[in-house]
Amino acid sequence: MIAFTDIVGMDLAKQALMLLAVDPALGGVVIPSAVGSGKSTLARAFADILPEGTPFVELPLNVTEDRLIGGVDLEATLASGVRVVQHGVLTKAHGGVLYVDSLSLLDSSAVSHIMDAMSRGEVLVEREGLSEVHPAKFMLVGTYDPSDGEVRMGLLDRIGIIVPFTAQNDFRARKKIVTTVLGTRDSEDTEDELRMLRGLIGAAREQLRHVSITSEQVQALIQTALSLGVEGNRVDIFTVRAALASAALAQRTDVEEEDMKLAIKLILIPRATRMPEREAEADEMPPQEEPPPQEEPEAEDEEAPADTPDSDAEADEEQKDTPDMIEELMMDAIETELPDNILNISLASKKKAKSGSRGEALNNRRGRFVRAQPGEMKSGKVALIPTLISAAPWQETRRRDKKMAGRPKTALIISKDDVKIKRFRDKSGTLFIFMVDASGSMALNRMRQAKGAVASLLQNAYVHRDQVALISFRGKQAQVLLPPSQSVDRAKRELDVLPTGGGTPLASALYLGWETAKQARTKGISQIMFVLITDGRGNIGLQAAFDPDAVKPSKEDLEKEIEALSGSICADGIAAIVVDTQMNYLSRGEAPKLAQKLGGRYFYLPNAKAEQIVEAALSF
Amino acid sequence: MTQTETAAKKRPAAKAKTGSDVPATQEPKKAAKPAGKKKSGLAFPFTAIVGQEEMKLSLILNIIDPRIGGVLVMGHRGTGKSTTVRALAEVLPFIDRVKDDIYNRTPEQYVEYEDMKKGAKSVDPATLKTEKIPVPVVDLPLGATEDRVCGTIDIEQALTSGVKAFEPGLLAQANRGFLYIDEVNLLDDHLVDVLLDVAASGKNVVEREGISIRHPARFVLVGSGNPEEGELRPQLLDRFGLHARIITILDVAKRVDIVKRRREFDEDPDAFMKKYSREQQKLQKKIEQAKALLPQVTMDDSVLTDIARLCMNLGIDGHRGELTITRTAHAHAAFMGDKEVTMKHVRDIAGLCLRHRLRKDPLETLDAGEKIDREIAKVLGEAEAV
Repeated sequence: MIAFTDIVGMDLAKQALMLLAVDPALGGVVIPSAVGSGKSTLARAFADILPEGTPFVELPLNVTEDRLIGGVDLEATLASGVRVVQHGVLTKAHGGVLYVDSLSLLDSSAVSHIMDAMSRGEVLVEREGLSEVHPAKFMLVGTYDPSDGEVRMGLLDRIGIIVPFTAQNDFRARKKIVTTVLGTRDSEDTEDELRMLRGLIGAAREQLRHVSITSEQVQALIQTALSLGVEGNRVDIFTVRAALASAALAQRTDVEEEDMKLAIKLILIPRATRMPEREAEADEMPPQEEPPPQEEPEAEDEEAPADTPDSDAEADEEQKDTPDMIEELMMDAIETELPDNILNISLASKKKAKSGSRGEALNNRRGRFVRAQPGEMKSGKVALIPTLISAAPWQETRRRDKKMAGRPKTALIISKDDVKIKRFRDKSGTLFIFMVDASGSMALNRMRQAKGAVASLLQNAYVHRDQVALISFRGKQAQVLLPPSQSVDRAKRELDVLPTGGGTPLASALYLGWETAKQARTKGISQIMFVLITDGRGNIGLQAAFDPDAVKPSKEDLEKEIEALSGSICADGIAAIVVDTQMNYLSRGEAPKLAQKLGGRYFYLPNAKAEQIVEAALSF
Repeated sequence: MTQTETAAKKRPAAKAKTGSDVPATQEPKKAAKPAGKKKSGLAFPFTAIVGQEEMKLSLILNIIDPRIGGVLVMGHRGTGKSTTVRALAEVLPFIDRVKDDIYNRTPEQYVEYEDMKKGAKSVDPATLKTEKIPVPVVDLPLGATEDRVCGTIDIEQALTSGVKAFEPGLLAQANRGFLYIDEVNLLDDHLVDVLLDVAASGKNVVEREGISIRHPARFVLVGSGNPEEGELRPQLLDRFGLHARIITILDVAKRVDIVKRRREFDEDPDAFMKKYSREQQKLQKKIEQAKALLPQVTMDDSVLTDIARLCMNLGIDGHRGELTITRTAHAHAAFMGDKEVTMKHVRDIAGLCLRHRLRKDPLETLDAGEKIDREIAKVLGEAEAV
């Protein structure tokens, strides 16, 4: 076991954990970091600096609902004849730490329960005839590898601190683990250091109530949140708390600039949806065009959270009023510690984009077993043990029943009502990847109808609990406008502002779609369908995406590229439909050919109604 | 995990609530306490919540007239959705129910349902004792199982005495009160089905293991969620009378205020509650007065015509739109202390009533609220021109 003080590097993460130790009301700390960076070692070492006896509970990823929130302990109940309650993991963590490794892989229903417990400070158990409230105030410490996917935004919203993700930290951390493992340190030193740190935190906890913050400082923090486009108002409370905790750690009674910087770094910047300087550029462009999609794919995402155009405009106004002091403070916080801040910002917006990606559904046949519930024997797999358990209480009464007379005494009498079937949780069926051609030639075609068709498909996809992703292609390369998500609203918004013009990088679109499909597969989504809305006239090669000066490939080369890609996509079992947007008299039959190569179906948009396309897509 | 022995704990809360010392009858007649059992810690006072007027008004109007059909609150994370709903309990008025009745029934309802039972003697409502309880607010957590929602057989009694006793669920507790579902867009489909069924009929029917129970279950459904986490099933969406939207507050002064109040509350909840107690009482009184005034509120036919025209122009299917506007406008007028509904009242609440009923035009980029406002202006303009 490596102690907290033995860990070299990951300074920001350590600072974050110390703030949390001082003020548990910060909710928790999330540490995104690559594999082998020592993040989980650090998280586990967190217990070292907490007062002795603080619970530290590690949440297994495959936790079932009843383990998580508690329920009837059936074994004990049957044995004792009175109802026995088993507390869940969340309650066991009460007053202490709930640690989740690989937070982004946690099942969505588990995430919902954790969110609920965090917002109430307790767990409501309303299940299996049990109605109870158990205390569950805990600090959530989560670590995850961003390449595994992102953590749901709703959960992050309740966790105060998000340690910015930097590659640098990882490197240093790795080095330190080696030195520690080699045993270069004296265990007595370690023990002393830990004792000191615990003392420091104890003192800071005392100090906390004596620290004050001025209204101007609060205002400055809020201004910063506004200029960074952070969603929600809860975050203000976290930011102020973090600044106070930082001052308390320094045994001060007043919040100073460095406290505010630390709070901005750990709370606001990781949630930023825009960088202040960029906004100025965007202002000069016509609203339809901004933000330029190629240069900043993440900028597309940041528009989404604001529900109305006004709210954004208002935010911009606010921002112009931002006093220099705040601006400086913020830029300072961004620059000093985070050389690769762009990475962080894109992390935040990626999180947002994926927040809807819970393509999970409960079903009776496949996936992971979640719970047993009453049902018809034919409608699913019978959960034997729960069935027997639900039959058990009735044996006495049923035996007294005359109809049952003559049965051997030892026979169990099971009635239809006892039957429990298994419910499984599974990633839901299909991911629709829409690839919308936004090249110059589309202006001639029927962009409006195309958008209409996509929108109705989206509506349908939602009803079927499917997921959608949106890729547009124009200019040099394709880009993902919306990663797999269930949010139809977002997809629509993206479509609404989709600009057109430039070349047709069809190959790039196919490639990107294929990549997206592969990623989805690793997350358990098995059925994938491409919906291509295009005239099929690709004129930009794959190479152009990586090398702007690439020589324009010949028509044959382009065709070969498409053919190879299509072949691979088809071989991967990805279904496709091609919606041809070209007017008859202009067509040279490119789109039907594309459909053929992909082994998919072909539709001619000017004739096809949106509903027909929907039907075709769903009939697969 | 090991067999951690929490075994000693014997469901104290639930016991107190449903009264498991009830004799071996099918249905416990006694309830020690209504839904108020879950008061743990103080809720942030309703009147101390800054901004989010749309949501607050929707909730208040639903108290004044529960027939409005509930409210769906959708919006950004961390904007006080659940805080507001949970704060509601403190400003709710009282209702009369038959003493100790677990279903919170009025004497009339009690008689109606008890008389339906086989072989039951008819009861004279006048002989029933009543008591005042605060309008119940019941929280339905996402992990709730169907049997706890609808009610089921009391396992413990079955085990100990071999008796089949019904243990009422959340729907029973929520009768004549509020049923709140946070993250309603993430609710399991089978629970949604149950809710839709009960919401449509106003009754909960449980048939199981020789037990047959039916009880009234009329409640104001309040749901909240973030649309980016997933969308709501259309059938459920349609059930909500009002749709309030909530967005991040961008006004710095207001946000400073939020932070201040929250800190003050966290530091000393009791003192904070005290500070707002007068405002809380004032609001509670205003709501009670509005409730009393409601039956006297009238609406001119011309206003009704305008409402109908508005709904028609917006292409709203069915008549639920008109009905909701009418009811909500009445409640709004009562809340304002007015005895007559005018288009001004309608204008204030039309967005809430219609936002989720507009037919979705995939190509429409106009915000639903703007569209409704524009139509209202148009209808009003026409009315004036005539």
